[in-house]
This record gives sequence, structure tokens and C-alpha cells, in this order.
Amino acid sequence: MDGALTLQLLLNALALGAAYGLVALGFALVIGATGAVNFAQGDLVMAGGFLTVALASLLPVDGLLLLPLVVLAMAGLGLAVCAVAYLPFRNAPPVSVFVSTIAIGIMLQNGANGLFGAAPRAGPPLLSGGGEPGGLDLDRQSLAVIAAAVLLAGGTWLMLYRTQLGRRMRATAQDPEMARAMGVNTTRTIALTFALATALAGAAGLLLSNRYFVTPVEGSNLMLKAYIAVVVGGWGRIGGALAGALLVAGFEVIVSAVLSYPVAEAGLYICVLLLLLLRPQGLFGEALGRRV
Amino acid sequence: MNRIAAIATAAAIVSGLAAGPAAAEEAKKATFPVLVPITGFLALEGTAQRNGAVLALDEGAEGVSVAYEVQDTGTSPEVAVNALLRALSRDEVSAVAASIFGTQMLAMMPVAAEAGVPLLTVSGTAKLTELDNPWVFRFFPTDAVVKVAQARYIVEELSRKRPAILYQTTAYGQSGRGHLVAAFEKLGAEVVYEEGLAPDVRDMLPALSKALAANPDVLVLHLHSGPTALFVRQAKANGTDLPIVAGSAMHQPTTAALLEPAELAGVCAESGSSPVSVGSPEMDAFAQAYRARFDAEPDAFALGQYDAMRMALSAIADGAATPKALRDKLASMVYEGLAMTYKSDGTGNMAHDAVIVCYDGESRIPRIAARYENVDGAR
Repeated sequence: MDGALTLQLLLNALALGAAYGLVALGFALVIGATGAVNFAQGDLVMAGGFLTVALASLLPVDGLLLLPLVVLAMAGLGLAVCAVAYLPFRNAPPVSVFVSTIAIGIMLQNGANGLFGAAPRAGPPLLSGGGEPGGLDLDRQSLAVIAAAVLLAGGTWLMLYRTQLGRRMRATAQDPEMARAMGVNTTRTIALTFALATALAGAAGLLLSNRYFVTPVEGSNLMLKAYIAVVVGGWGRIGGALAGALLVAGFEVIVSAVLSYPVAEAGLYICVLLLLLLRPQGLFGEALGRRV
Repeated sequence: MNRIAAIATAAAIVSGLAAGPAAAEEAKKATFPVLVPITGFLALEGTAQRNGAVLALDEGAEGVSVAYEVQDTGTSPEVAVNALLRALSRDEVSAVAASIFGTQMLAMMPVAAEAGVPLLTVSGTAKLTELDNPWVFRFFPTDAVVKVAQARYIVEELSRKRPAILYQTTAYGQSGRGHLVAAFEKLGAEVVYEEGLAPDVRDMLPALSKALAANPDVLVLHLHSGPTALFVRQAKANGTDLPIVAGSAMHQPTTAALLEPAELAGVCAESGSSPVSVGSPEMDAFAQAYRARFDAEPDAFALGQYDAMRMALSAIADGAATPKALRDKLASMVYEGLAMTYKSDGTGNMAHDAVIVCYDGESRIPRIAARYENVDGAR
């Protein structure tokens, strides 16, 4: 394997891992805030991808310019998901939220299928121009995806650790009863967490939609990748989710390049099983004292 | 005759006159449930299948009163079977436009056999016509036809003898891979590399780099729509100038729409037909009617199901009044469809021709580069 190819493979792994990272980050945020698993997270990524496709048909500009619109619209969708699929069931057994978010995911799938059809669709490139066959454009797109994901993840980290809202979110995640006793409006905080998680899912959908296309049925696979990333990084741990996503993507790309795709897929699940056996708290430890 | 009887008689005469020819020769009634996957992972192909069936049934046939209802079978066999049972319980069914999803077909076939109703499908699953079920008719060429055509085009027309094969790890992919390997062996070509890809693989660079390392002279794909487009894009981005001869997914206009015309240069695909390529006036009329009705481009699945329903309507118009008569007629007649001439091989395989289409790098509409008729010698 020559140096240029190795570099391109690493870049691809990083770009894919960065997009997976945004999915896993949103997934971990909801786990942290509510203790519940949002099984619609993958389908929300898909919804973000289709929203990008729809916006691009109205505003034929670079994906980067559409990103704020997608993030805002998806944040609104996140509030709706919270209102419909979480708040009515917050005091019910956790399985109720599992089922309600699965239902939301199926509705999103069928909605996308009805509105856009079943065919794969391509979103706009994050940055247009400068693309010539021969690898340069892929590099440019990969770098743009990585940069956008780093900015979004960094912004999320700053918001969580450097703002009052972030402190409230973390307080609600650590001990909702105590947070409520201290005057935090936990319902509003949880709703904002859903909005943030869904906005990140939408951003991931935009980043993935050009290079890897978007179809109504891809959500479950993305959901699985996010789930694995969170297990690897530590249940509910924000930084761990990002690291887990990068590890998952890196493992997939590198092992499939050296051996084969089936080996990479089987190897990934064997590693996850071993991890669960030997270090069930994940590589970086659990953020929560309980596992859903 | 009292007054009331006279009025009744007059009314009967008037209504008889009004009914005219209908009373003299009542239109044959034909009911066709359209049971196809409109949601789920085969929704793209299932929607095309639905559209083809609906277009044909809306056109109707002289002397035949057509009724149909579309039901989404999703992705599970039990949903398909339930849809079939519901349809059979409600109406006297003439034939069913049945799912492209082979797993659903396998579940529906015993039910259809018991009820004595023909299933008309474009499913490619080989087993459907290997089970001695006389009620199933397939209007899309099997891998035994299209994969042989694909291999022949590569060896005979492109003079390439070192193919690298990338296939899907699904049943669809493995069936195609088996036929390709056998066809290449028969043609004296050496397969230098092959790898199975799961449908959710996103990064195609690992597969491309390993395939190129084996020094092939052609890249042969048998992948679903999205993966085909991803692979072609990756190959072009890496400056690969080897010809790419893909499976039927590449002929679908929705697949071509994912790529820039320049990325399609040197890319070919096998298919049963290509309705968007320049063809006969009848084919162009079909494509225009399809676009007008569904705001989409037709593909070979749509055309195959369209031909299937037109053949069934033709048989009913010709006197096949019962499902059994229709089955016998379908099993024995030769029908000139838009895509090709259909004739059963005795097991329900009706399609025996294939085409190879190629893109010129300037548009997303391929031209037909080669036609292979009666590939399996069954017609």
C-alpha cells in the first residue's frame, strides 16, 4: 500500500468518523440528560440529509451555507420529538421511550419515503469548486467534513462546559432531582438537549449526504454505529462517544483495506463483545451510574 | 298485461336498449391486486414495479373491465402473505402483480397455488422458478441471462479477460457473483479479484485499492444502486481509467442521477431493457406516459411489470376468463412486449433477452451498446 493511498484511507476514515462522531455525540447527550436511548437518532440523521437535499433544490448553494438552516430546522424537530416521544413517558418505564423513539424513527422513514421516494439522493458538496477527478476533490471534501465536524463538536463542548445553559444541562444529566431543587427547569433543559442532539444529527446528515448519499432506510445502520461508539467510549460520556466514533470508522476503513469488509464487520462486533466482557464501562468509563 | 307489468316491461326494454352492447356482450371483469414493496429497502424497485403495473392497468384492454388495488408489502414475508390473503378474500382475483422481493414471493407462492391465482413478478430470485409452482411468471431476465450477457460483453466486445468482481453479500449479490464467475470461466477469462460488500459499506476506497492491486483490465460490479454509485464515484475520483461494467442497478435513472455525467464516462451496465434510451416510438410513448403520470424516469423493472400486466390483459381479452385459463395462456403464448418477446421456458421464466447500456460521459441517458437475445436458449 503506497503512502498516498494510506493517507487517503486515513483521511476517509477521519471524515467518516467525524460524521459518525456527531451522530454519537447527539446520542450520548440524550442518554446523559434523560438516561433513555433515543432510537430515532439514526433516522434523524437521515431526516437531516433529506432536509439538505430539499433545501439544496430551493437554494442551490454550498452545503456549508445550508448548514445553519439545517441545524436550526432540526433543532425545532428535536423539540417536537422531545414533546411527543419523551415528555409524555418520562415517568414511565424506560422501555416506553425506546418504543416511542422507534415509532418516531419509523414515521420519519415512511415520511421521507413518501416525500422524496425510495431512491438514494445526493446532497450538495460542503464546498463546491476545485474538484478534478484524481483524488483532489475527495481530499477537499474530506477535509471540509472533518473541519465542520470539529467545529460543531467543539462548539458543543464549549456550550456544555463554558455556558450557564451547559452547566444546567450537565446538572440535569447528573442528578435531575437535585437540579430541580436548585431551581433548574429540567423539562426545558431536557427539551433543549433533544434540540441540540437533533441539530447535531441534522448536521451529520448534511455532511454525509453528498459523499455517501441519503436513503430513507439508512437510519438504523447509523443508529447501530452510534450505539457501538457510545458503548466503546463509555455510556453517556460525550468525549468518549466522539473517540468511539473515530475508532469505529478507523477500524472499518483500515481493516477492510488490509483484509476485507466482512472481516472488518465481524471483527468490529467481536471487539465490542470483548470490550463488554473485559471492560463493560467502555474505554473511558461510564458517565452515568446506571446503564439503561 | 296490467299497467304495472307494462311499465316494468317497458323499463326493462329501455334499460336493455341503453345497455346496448354491454348487455349483449358483457365486458370481461379482471381484478389485479398489486402487492409490492413501496416502503423499506426495496422501495425503489418496488415503486417502479408498482408504477409499471398501474400504468398498464390504467390503459386497460378492449372488452375488459379492469379493477386493481395497490397494497404495500413492506419488507416482511408475513405482510405480503396477509396482503395476498386479504385480496383473495375480497375479490375474484384474475392475477396478482407480485413483489419483486424474492423472500416475499417464496412466502406467497404456496398461497397462490392453493387459491389457483397466477403471480406476475419481476423478482430475480432464481428459486422462484425452480419449485415446480405453475402459478408464478417472471418478466425480468434471471441472472442466468443478464450475467451471461454482462460477461459476454466484457470478453467479446471489450476484449477484457482479467475482470475484478465486486458484489453485494446479499442473496442477490451472491447469485449474480456465481453466474458471473461461471460465465467468465466458460468464456476463458480469469477472475483476478473478487470481494463481497455489505450494502451499508460507505467507503469504497479499500475495495477499489485491493481490486486495482490485482491488476485487472475491467471492473465488474454487481451492487445495489447506492453502492454502485459510490464505487463509480470513488473509481473516477482516483483517476481509474479501467472500464466499469456494472449490474442492472446502474441502468436505473435514479442511480445515474447520483453521479455527474463525466463520472459516468466509460461506465456500462447490463439490464433487461432500458426504457430511457432511444428506442422505438412505442417505447418512447411508454416513457413519456410514465414521466407524465409519475414524474419519474422509468427503468427496466417498471417496463417488465408493465409488459407482464399487458400480457395478462391481452390473454384475458383473448378469452382467458378464469385464473386457471389465464395461467395456461401465459404458459403457452408468445407475447411481443415493449422490452422484448416473452415466452415461458416451462418453469415460468418469461424473459430471455438482455441489453448492455453505456454512458458517453456527456449525459445521464445511456445508449444501448449491445443486445443479447434468447441468451438461455429457452425461447
